[in-house]
Amino acid sequence: MTHPALEADHDVIVIGTGIGGGTVGRALAEGGMRVLFLEQGPAGFRQERNGLSEIFVPEGRAARGLWPRPLHATIDGRESVTYAPLGAGVGGSSVFYAGTLERPERHDLDETGDRPHPTGGWPVGFDAMRPWYDRAAEMYHIHGTPDPLSPEAPMRLQPPPAFNATEQTLVRAFEARGLHPYHAHTAIRRLDGCLNCLGVKCPRACKMDGRSAGVEPALATGRAALVDRAEVLRLIGAISVEGVEIRHDGQTRVLRAPRVVLAGGAFGSARLLLRSRGEAWPEGAANGSGLVGRNLMFHLNEMFALWPPRGTPDDGATKAVSLRDLYHAGGARLGTVQAMGIRASYGEIVHYLNRMLAASAWSRLPGLRQMTRVPAALAAQLFGHAQIFVGLLEDMPYPGNRVLWDPAEPDRLAMTYDLHPELLERRRLFRRAIARAFRGQRRVFLGMGPELNLGHPSGTLRFGSDPKTSVLDPGCRAHDLRNLWVADSSFMPTSMGVNPSLTIAANALRVADGILTEIR
Amino acid sequence: MMHLAPSDGVAIVTGAGSGLGRALAVELVARGFTVAGIGRRADALDGTAEQAGSAFHAFAADIADPAQVAGTFSRIRESLGPVALLINNAAVYPRRDFLDETAAAYMHTVAINLGGTVACTRAALEDMCRTGRGRILNVATFADIAPLPASSAYSVSKGAARIFTRALIADLGDRFPGIVIGDWMPGMLKTGMGIPDGVAPEVSARWGVALALDMAPDLTGAVFEMDTEVLPPRGLKGRVKDLVLMRRRTPRRLQT
Repeated sequence: MTHPALEADHDVIVIGTGIGGGTVGRALAEGGMRVLFLEQGPAGFRQERNGLSEIFVPEGRAARGLWPRPLHATIDGRESVTYAPLGAGVGGSSVFYAGTLERPERHDLDETGDRPHPTGGWPVGFDAMRPWYDRAAEMYHIHGTPDPLSPEAPMRLQPPPAFNATEQTLVRAFEARGLHPYHAHTAIRRLDGCLNCLGVKCPRACKMDGRSAGVEPALATGRAALVDRAEVLRLIGAISVEGVEIRHDGQTRVLRAPRVVLAGGAFGSARLLLRSRGEAWPEGAANGSGLVGRNLMFHLNEMFALWPPRGTPDDGATKAVSLRDLYHAGGARLGTVQAMGIRASYGEIVHYLNRMLAASAWSRLPGLRQMTRVPAALAAQLFGHAQIFVGLLEDMPYPGNRVLWDPAEPDRLAMTYDLHPELLERRRLFRRAIARAFRGQRRVFLGMGPELNLGHPSGTLRFGSDPKTSVLDPGCRAHDLRNLWVADSSFMPTSMGVNPSLTIAANALRVADGILTEIR
Repeated sequence: MMHLAPSDGVAIVTGAGSGLGRALAVELVARGFTVAGIGRRADALDGTAEQAGSAFHAFAADIADPAQVAGTFSRIRESLGPVALLINNAAVYPRRDFLDETAAAYMHTVAINLGGTVACTRAALEDMCRTGRGRILNVATFADIAPLPASSAYSVSKGAARIFTRALIADLGDRFPGIVIGDWMPGMLKTGMGIPDGVAPEVSARWGVALALDMAPDLTGAVFEMDTEVLPPRGLKGRVKDLVLMRRRTPRRLQT
């Protein structure tokens, strides 16, 4: 039995339905194009509410919308096998996000006087991106308050709900320290009966993600179709993409459309292009630069627990507080600091302390794991619940940090990554800046070593003006394949100091506009 | 929200023609629910309808046959609406020494006690997964812990049904927290399948219905015996830890 959409004609095939694919597909469908979404994972049930999981049964992972296979990561030469927070279902990884959609700073994209850019600046600068950020903020129903430190005109933000007592106490304590907290920019609409789906699938169109703000409105136009459980094996062609080979329902077949938009994420998109190598493309599709899969970036997570002042009422976990006081400090690119939406009780602190212990020289002392319960229980009794904050430290592009693909194991997801000395140096600065900024408040750093945020991969198909030093042109069209566009986080030349989602969505809208302008 | 209401949908009771199943159906109708009763014998279901009233609808079917179950559920859905509650109550207990069993007769018992539960659950989930809300209560026993003589097929199939509850939670628990799934041991009953001086099925049915209508998500995986929760066993180390951390759990009791 074959899916009827696989027999129909389409103007464009969108590979992947995450925040990039969903957004670009919606804009193209609303612009009048006939769109076919291909999603490797299952559509599943709309009422599902699961989060990420360490389940290792691939079919069990797939049923939950998770990337079925583990990530083989070689970090500083040490191999590890881990389940990265990657989605593989309608909405991709975004159905699992906490909906923090923040616009970057000007210096994230542009070379500015006192803040040189590591790549000399993006080919599309802050001012050119600004209207797309506004459009994305509207599409994703973002609420929040402007960052008081920013000299830029704020995005169009809807008014946020009032801070609760816990948040208010935190904000006052931060302000007393001379910091500038604001209400984080959030894509949760807080409809009646909002389940506050931080990190889990939202059963309604309340949390705005690649599914609720992308694929579903696209399907509602009547011009888009979705085929789930369709795994794209490779692109076929020579001077353009002539076919998309998929495995669906146990059969391999080739689909054709005049245009193809790739949005499989920084891992998936790069891997697919590497995997598409053939006679015409010995190094993989669109890989004349040799940069496909390279310049893989993440963020480093710097997590710390912060206990609100004694006597603060406990209103649950907060995700609402953000601040950019440390974003660029001491001449170094650091990043944003935000509440994670995790309230640490006794059990969580034990978990974190044990993880720290496992990474430390003390790990061989027997019985120590049980001992961490005592300070954690004391902390819980004395201080109540801690709020977990995270500093996102910008990562820099290095060609050696990359997605790997091995023809002997074509389905394997693998990467190699080295922590460069300048990153570790900036991490030291960041930690020191955090310690200084929150001095006088009860806090503890969680985690000892540098921790890659594997949920924020980017950069593996960077855009630029020169085909020798970039995979995509400024319109995110492949230099080598003129009917192939990319609309996920792969295009980013640098990782910025904020969560990547809003930038992915804004850029996807810009890519769609480029395609629509061309056909008109 | 924390309790199932008649407006949520139809309540289905299997084995509704006699004993505990009949009492459960009568109690659910008394609480305002539209009840679809499934059973093999149409005349027995008519008896339940007489006691329960017009909100009880009889559906004669053999749950050992998956095709009959699928057909019955789609008829229930068409005539009465989506399924919100399923009580897997139907079971047979042939008292037979293993040397008097044939493999076919034995596996027929498994087809009813385990197969029927699997088939009805699968069919009920069609509605529950769509709405994200529902309740599945499996009537269970301790028969698997220390099987009695002449009870092999019953012990094996009911034991497997308890594993099925846990396996079902492994597949659905994290994805559908609004579908509450658990086991209930009704106790020794004064029914055809039970003992002469057991609990009256009407009394037991009040506990069963109280549990079946409770939608607290943390009831998923909970096991109740009569009106009291059976806590999972803890080893000595675990009990000492609980004591030190002052988090000893007390079993929940049903309010009827």
